[in-house]
Amino acid sequence: MNVVLAIVAMILFPGGLFVIVGSLAYEYVDRKLVARFQNRVGPRWFQPLADLVKLLVKEEIVPAGVNRGLFIWLPVAALAAAFTAALYIPMAGFPPTWGYRGDLVVTVYLLMMMTLCIGLAGANTTDRFSIVGSTRALTQLFSYEAPFLLALLGPAIAAGTWRISEVNGYARENMWMIVTQPLGFLVALIGLMGKLELPPFDAPEAETEIVSGALTEYSGRGLAFFRLGRDVELLVGLTLISAFYLGGLANPLQFVLKTIGLLFITAALQSLFARLRIDQTVGLWWRAGAVLALVQLLILIGLKSLGVHL
Amino acid sequence: MSEQMTLGSMTELLKPWTVASRPVSDTRLEVETTAANIVPAVGALKTAQWGFLSAITGLDNSAAVKADSGTAAASGAAPAHNGGGFEVLYHFCRGPSVLTFRVKLPREAPTVPTLSAVVPSALIYEKELAETFGVTIEGIPDRRRQFLSDDWPTNLYPMRKDFSPGSAEGLAQAAPVAVAEERRGTLGTFIVPIGPQHPALKEPGHFELTVDGETVTHAAIRLGYVHRGIEKGAEDRSWIHNIYLMERICGICSHIHSTAYVLGVEKLAGTAVPPRAQAIRTIFAEMERVHSHLLWLGVAAHEAGFDTLFMYSWRDRETIMDLLEEISGNRVNYSVNLLGGVKYDIDAKGTDSLRRGMDFLEKRTRHYLKIVTNDESFLRRTRGVGNITFEQANLLGTVGPTARASGVSRDLRVEAPYLAYADFPVKTVLDTRCDLEARFIVRINELFESYRLIRAILEKLPPGDLAVASPRRVPAGEVISRVEAPRGELFYFIRSGGGVKPDRVKVRTPSLCNWAAVLSVAVGHKLADIPMIMVGIDPCFSCNDRSITVRRRGSDERWTWEELRRYGISYYGGDA
Repeated sequence: MNVVLAIVAMILFPGGLFVIVGSLAYEYVDRKLVARFQNRVGPRWFQPLADLVKLLVKEEIVPAGVNRGLFIWLPVAALAAAFTAALYIPMAGFPPTWGYRGDLVVTVYLLMMMTLCIGLAGANTTDRFSIVGSTRALTQLFSYEAPFLLALLGPAIAAGTWRISEVNGYARENMWMIVTQPLGFLVALIGLMGKLELPPFDAPEAETEIVSGALTEYSGRGLAFFRLGRDVELLVGLTLISAFYLGGLANPLQFVLKTIGLLFITAALQSLFARLRIDQTVGLWWRAGAVLALVQLLILIGLKSLGVHL
Repeated sequence: MSEQMTLGSMTELLKPWTVASRPVSDTRLEVETTAANIVPAVGALKTAQWGFLSAITGLDNSAAVKADSGTAAASGAAPAHNGGGFEVLYHFCRGPSVLTFRVKLPREAPTVPTLSAVVPSALIYEKELAETFGVTIEGIPDRRRQFLSDDWPTNLYPMRKDFSPGSAEGLAQAAPVAVAEERRGTLGTFIVPIGPQHPALKEPGHFELTVDGETVTHAAIRLGYVHRGIEKGAEDRSWIHNIYLMERICGICSHIHSTAYVLGVEKLAGTAVPPRAQAIRTIFAEMERVHSHLLWLGVAAHEAGFDTLFMYSWRDRETIMDLLEEISGNRVNYSVNLLGGVKYDIDAKGTDSLRRGMDFLEKRTRHYLKIVTNDESFLRRTRGVGNITFEQANLLGTVGPTARASGVSRDLRVEAPYLAYADFPVKTVLDTRCDLEARFIVRINELFESYRLIRAILEKLPPGDLAVASPRRVPAGEVISRVEAPRGELFYFIRSGGGVKPDRVKVRTPSLCNWAAVLSVAVGHKLADIPMIMVGIDPCFSCNDRSITVRRRGSDERWTWEELRRYGISYYGGDA
């Protein structure tokens, strides 16, 4: 791949600008849908952009008692990881910019960076809300991460490859894996909600208990980066799940329809439940999530070893 | 009749500690005792399981003595005013009966022992007494201030008669009294502060939660961030002005405050209020209960992170707000009450909209009852959480829906009907499950009761006048007025010296009664449950804080933004 193309891929499409615009658009759709489900009016279309710009121009206050370097660079690292992940997935239905054997694992790790950075950012400050928040964020990470990974492994095993583009291609040619692996789909989708700390998994930032959780001390640019990073993760996560479970992504129209369809489901789930306590979240994931994902995987491996084509 | 017997038997029981005993009415008994005897006397009451400590009132008799010498034998009914000393009144309530211990104290070094060893909930009232009247409470376990600002000058007591609002100016202490060095707790535990400013609190209050991991090991509370000096202010305003002042104690239960006040004053003045006025007051009181309970439902759901229920219940609450506005013209302070009646009539059009509103709300409320009793994720946050046992609720003197959700049958509308509740009886809504879910169910079922009651009154709204004239001067005397606010028993003690202004208005709001229970229950719960438990009693901070206004050093009533900014910077040690 030549240098010009690589730069275009990083700055314009599918990385950089496109991801920023796309993720803000998805944040808008998410907020609007939740608002409508809750019988509210909801934001106007440019609200996520306005929020981002407002935060970017605000003063970034570095509180006393923090490691300055970590405080400033953690949001950058989180955002960078999310942007990088966007290069490995079939964004907007186009083939991924980069790909190699095992890029699925790399992408999953890149997606995890966000939560790690948030956890570190909270532990870096002396604020008690932040510390409780980061403890919760990391506790939650350990509960959903394994089932989420297992749930993404299902389609990979079925396709017999660890390359995202090949799984995508396999999914396009075969029956939608939401039908053949319903348990995996469920775990993956709900795992994504846990990753993004969406209700009912928003204990790490439960405002009525710990204000803003790990990000309580963040303002200005740092907060803007974390928020944008989370939006990018939403976009990447939705793309990944629809590529794997909803029959793959072949063109932009499919991409929009499938990801918005998923967003509709997550928005509905967000407005349906009361917040889970952190111990309930952990219990739910290990008692139900992990078991479901494992069962799904075992069935797959069993069928595969019997030579059944999935 | 049986209550008379009960109070009579109390006279016998308390004889060993009694100086003088005086039945005030069928339901009120006053027992004068001494500071040395108050603890054993209250102990005897507790052993006999008679009632709960409802309020402690401080009285400064210095002004009353002057009035006595001025008008000589004008007020034969009023008790003698021990040479301008202090009096401390301990009010115990049981159903409609009130037993008051009166302890007379000298002006110099007034001291009473603490009741907190016998009645734990007394602490909060005793602190208020100590801070506002300068009565020393002996044996109090924790001397940190509860209501007054930390930089309020020592030895200046705002509720004493010789205090004038200007006299605190310039006296604020340079170094605030022991703004306690941050207590780190033992290894592995630390203190999570909730408030004064915190997203879970819609009004300022301060909770110190010591947590070990996620588990709360200790809880403490500090109030007084919105003290406005209402009790003191009431002494300087006419009987009529005070209706509006009392109405502003709380923005949610405004009508019930003014109702408690006017009922007390009308009793003192002997005004016979027309039945139509009483019925309209009742309708407003129930509408207020509806709006308050629906508001609470939304807030409590929000604390549990269930914002959808929050949005829906507040949307439907607009129905009752619109009805309140349609009839009175106001959404918050309806100013329905007058001394001697009400201002607004409910005509055929109003009746019609009320009926339609009740029908709509009843349908919606049925839906909400289904949600809070069926939604699995919500039940995980409420079922078996925040248990206040029957014994705790009884002993710690909880009131209102909080008490009723623990099976304690305390509802003044039933026990001591006031307004029109005698003609239109209410059913007590009880639940014995004691947890947060029970508090939801009790409040929602009370909504149904309110809808039914409003319809019943509209059906038979008594004809007649809306108001009668009330005298400008109210005869000397003391009166206790108790009503059932949405949050529980609201207690007013009013004393008149025979003039155009009250001598003392003491307000004890229901939220104060319920804190003791919350703090003792919080320990052992997860941090995540605390906002729910706190909100479970439907706390109202403005109701807690009434007594004091604070002016800091060199302050003016009006500050420009620049001045405020500079003050803020210098206050926190920076240079402007």
